[in-house]
Amino acid sequence: MAPEPPLLSMSGITKSFPGVRALDGVDLDVQAGEVHCLLGQNGAGKSTLIKVLAGAHQPDTGTIRWRGEDVTLRSPIAAMRLGIATIYQELDLVEHLSVAENVHLGHEPTTAGFVVRGRAARASTAQLLARLGHPEIDPGRLVGELSAAQQQIVSMARALSHDVRLIVMDEPSAALDPDEVDNLFRIVADLTAEGVAVVYISHRLEEIRRIGDRVTVLKDGRAVAGGLPAKETPTREVVALMTGRNVEYVFPDRPASAPQGEPVLSVRGLSRDGEFAALDLEVRPGEIVGLAGLVGSGRSEILETVYGARKPSTGQVLVDGRPLRPGSVRAAVRAGLGLAPEERKAQALLMLESVTRNVSVSSMSRFARGGWIDRGAELGAARAATRELSLRPDNPSVPVRTLSGGNQQKAVLARWLLRGCRVLLLDEPTRGVDVGARAELYAVIRRLADEGLAVLLVSSEVPEVLGLADRVLVLREGRVVHEAPARELDEHRVLDLVMEGSPAS
Amino acid sequence: MTELTSRRGLLFGAAAVSAGAFLTGCTSNESSDDDKPAANDQPAADDKPGKPVTIGYAGPQADHGWLNAINDNAKKRAEKYSDVTLEVTEGSNDTAQQIGQIETLINKKVDVLVVLPADGKALTQVGLKAMRAGIPVVNLDRIFNTPQAYRCWIGGDNYGMGLNAGHYIGEKLKDKADARVVELAGLDNLELTKQRTQGFDDALKNYPNIKKVARQAADFTVESGQAKMAQLLQAQSKFDALWNHDDDQGVGALRAIEQAGRDDFLMVGGAGALSAFQAIKQDNGVLKATVLYPPTMAASAIDLARALGQGKGIGGMAEYEIPASITLYSAVVDKDNVDQYMSTGFK
Amino acid sequence: MTQHVSPPRGGTGKAAPVDGPPAWRGLLARADVRTLSLLGVLAVLVLIGGITKPDEFLDTRNLQLVLTQASVIGVVTVGMTFVIISGGIDLSVGAIVALASVWATTVATQEYGFFGILFTAIVVGVGCGLVNGVLIAYGAMVPFIATLAMLASARGLALQITDGRTQIVTVEGILDLGERDSYVLGIPPLVLVFAAVTVVGWLVLNRTTFGRRTVAVGGNAEAARLAGIDVRRQRLYLYLLSGLCCGIAAFLLIVLSGSGQNTNGNLYELDAIAAAIIGGTLLSGGRGTIVGSVLGVLIFTTITNIFALNNLQTDVQQIAKGAIIVAAVLVQRRTASTP
Repeated sequence: MAPEPPLLSMSGITKSFPGVRALDGVDLDVQAGEVHCLLGQNGAGKSTLIKVLAGAHQPDTGTIRWRGEDVTLRSPIAAMRLGIATIYQELDLVEHLSVAENVHLGHEPTTAGFVVRGRAARASTAQLLARLGHPEIDPGRLVGELSAAQQQIVSMARALSHDVRLIVMDEPSAALDPDEVDNLFRIVADLTAEGVAVVYISHRLEEIRRIGDRVTVLKDGRAVAGGLPAKETPTREVVALMTGRNVEYVFPDRPASAPQGEPVLSVRGLSRDGEFAALDLEVRPGEIVGLAGLVGSGRSEILETVYGARKPSTGQVLVDGRPLRPGSVRAAVRAGLGLAPEERKAQALLMLESVTRNVSVSSMSRFARGGWIDRGAELGAARAATRELSLRPDNPSVPVRTLSGGNQQKAVLARWLLRGCRVLLLDEPTRGVDVGARAELYAVIRRLADEGLAVLLVSSEVPEVLGLADRVLVLREGRVVHEAPARELDEHRVLDLVMEGSPAS
Repeated sequence: MTELTSRRGLLFGAAAVSAGAFLTGCTSNESSDDDKPAANDQPAADDKPGKPVTIGYAGPQADHGWLNAINDNAKKRAEKYSDVTLEVTEGSNDTAQQIGQIETLINKKVDVLVVLPADGKALTQVGLKAMRAGIPVVNLDRIFNTPQAYRCWIGGDNYGMGLNAGHYIGEKLKDKADARVVELAGLDNLELTKQRTQGFDDALKNYPNIKKVARQAADFTVESGQAKMAQLLQAQSKFDALWNHDDDQGVGALRAIEQAGRDDFLMVGGAGALSAFQAIKQDNGVLKATVLYPPTMAASAIDLARALGQGKGIGGMAEYEIPASITLYSAVVDKDNVDQYMSTGFK
Repeated sequence: MTQHVSPPRGGTGKAAPVDGPPAWRGLLARADVRTLSLLGVLAVLVLIGGITKPDEFLDTRNLQLVLTQASVIGVVTVGMTFVIISGGIDLSVGAIVALASVWATTVATQEYGFFGILFTAIVVGVGCGLVNGVLIAYGAMVPFIATLAMLASARGLALQITDGRTQIVTVEGILDLGERDSYVLGIPPLVLVFAAVTVVGWLVLNRTTFGRRTVAVGGNAEAARLAGIDVRRQRLYLYLLSGLCCGIAAFLLIVLSGSGQNTNGNLYELDAIAAAIIGGTLLSGGRGTIVGSVLGVLIFTTITNIFALNNLQTDVQQIAKGAIIVAAVLVQRRTASTP
């Protein structure tokens, strides 16, 4: 019996960066027409592996066989020519070019080799978009004007514009709403039906169960399990493989009695035209209030407006009953608000700086006399704050970019802890944080609340809101449609509320 | 020390003149009764009002003392004649802009054009255009590519400047064995700098005892003159003479010489700035002479343009027509003849 | 698909670094490989100078000369470094130096003597910086455009003031300051000012909240804003600072050249940017050092000095300068990518 060789077979791949062995003899087999899931915590080597596969990194050792033949992927173009396309998590589209221009970037249909045939490019782009279930995206529009989900579709269209046999998708569902995820899965199913293989990376185990055929688990640069059946392998086993220990996906206990006392944060009639309608809410010390809703329901916008990063159209934000100057971050920070934004790297962290400096940035004046910083005091305070949150490594002098997603989030929380903030605004606090670290982060957030902080939480993951918050406000299209204690709600009820009446359901 | 103090006195004198005698600084053309014995001050055609002439004048942007003096000379000279109307464009160093300005003057149908191009080669076409339109062009200093583009060219002699500077230094040092000279050149991008250096080198060939030991190029600015001269002084602990292409950068060069406390050589400048003339007259520093590149050529250009417009020749020449080309002499001004030139010094 | 370029640092940067570094590595890390590589370049230059012209180059007077010539552009570069670290750019520095130097040397100003000149130079510098800062911070103009506009108008104004003439300084105190009698322990006063500006610049960048805010704004302006930093005010201050440095530099240039001229400060913007870049300052902001920038200035000045001493001409000097910029940046990238 001579079985057909796998479409792709990588074996013994190693790749070292200065000081780090990112991949340590990884094997990966992918069959034509399968969805092969790649699982692993942050830093396990997933990104490096797909960059090797995309030709962006050259492996130190190891072989890559493509349809039974040894190949060397010298460059992204070489990988592209073989039919390997990669859709990165951080989309690599040119915002100021149109959809069609992006899709055909680098291989524009031309006349005489250099005159771009714009009409042909738009027509073929429209075809691709229709095939992807998004005929409403205009190929002539600028990519910068599209939503994150639409951009992802464009990125996919670009991959499909080549003659592709293998598509690598790096956390494609991270920026998508449930109905968009459904569409994504339909696309994946169509592709595999045509014999295209998909390497699918996700943190969400339930997704892998839905669409995956086989799973390879990476840990510390090694493949600790290859080709497990995706649907049958128990969750507990997968998590155990990823983390090296058995982790329950648990939320911390809520305090026995509901928080009393005067609300520290009150929002009255706050609105922003076109984003969200008049919103009222209150958060008491020790309370975690969650906002649940789909992408586009105005969640992030609400938090940023409360924080003064956006100017409200109407309404006001009060801290301890005193109104804040609208549209002023500085006023909000002075009054004791702190924001952990959704895009940590883009909106919160100074990636070139140490943990200390990231933690102290909002409290510098406390360590300064006449503008002069007492670095000893600064380091001590940063160390105390990061220790309190068990930030790893326990050395605040390391650059913040070397930290894992969860620890970067802790650095942001430590910033506000050090500042002595009283109201914490959390926007998708566990985005990009791996499973093992989430529980720890949940515990930290609960502990901060127990110590008297008021927390306003936004998350697209309903279980997270339900598990962590005391009280939940359900948003739909910029309006609060329901408010209830978290223990009175369940996931189905919330999903019903956010979808109710919407054309998608 | 006395040397330093007195030199400061001299600089002070320069500023006093600048405060008071601003208008008379460049040329003294206000009235012919008040004539000083300046070599250039005799108008070419006669002074009596004749046929009215409109002269279009397109000069450079006056971002340098010499260029400023050029524009001043032209304007003052034109004011002197009641029969001359001067159409002056805004000075420009941008070739495209200057072409546009000259085309505007052509369209206005001026009688004669006086053009000091930002770049002679690049403006040849517009010179040709004017000539074809029947407007005679007086090409000032920076020469067009072809004689067809001008009726008369008048300008300085860069090669002659170098030559005369070389001869002056040569004569001063001819009895000195193994004499060493240093050259502080102007902006090396310009052809005129190469011509000045070539003339200087050619002159020195007549004096086998003299060797040029160093050359650095500044860029006509005081700042660069100071910087490059300071380096030259450090590089050459002993030399006998210095030729500096330009009196403006010479201000900086003199400053560097003063700062280094050096006075063991003679210095010859170039162009003919007022401050240089005054230093030569005082004769208590290293600057002993300067070679002219007279900005009065602009005044002469106006005279030529007026004569062309009125169909006259130049007094003192047998020919009826004015010459096609006039190269000015790069006279050496030293202590003996400096008074004669003082009025032409520019600031 | 040429888009798939990997970031300069590997995507696995999150992985844990190797275990506890030995003590000597810590020391080396503190000295900063970039700074060491620049010192290496400078050492090579000194070697070249010493070999080609031992008598003229290795000489106290030459050291004084090199440092003096570095002073004016050096002070400008310190200000420029702050601006670039903050993610901005100041193209108007040369023009501001020109304007401040001519405004401070007009006949009218000179009547007020030494302090009149000093005061005017600094006020004009700060004033131009204020205009830049307000346009950029509160007028939401791109720094490139705002300072380009300042470049054009300041040069124009300088030309208008001087009419293209060289304004000679007659104030004794100013002239004295540039001469050997004023040297303090063999150090020219200009160099002392340069040193003071460098030290203060270093302290401000590394030890004060102002410096931290500058780095934060340059590293990630949005993050800085959301962390409660007044980004706009910080930007305003930064261009004021650059203007102040230009004012000081203009004063030094007046002392050095004994005059004011509208052509002063020609292409300082490019020299200062080049020095900052080879000194390791990221043009995109967020990282840079004063020491690196000052070393960059000294490298350029030393090259000019060595070339002049060896009587090499301008064309060769310019080619070498370009080559050194490329070489320095390449060497740095190489040394920076190995820990």
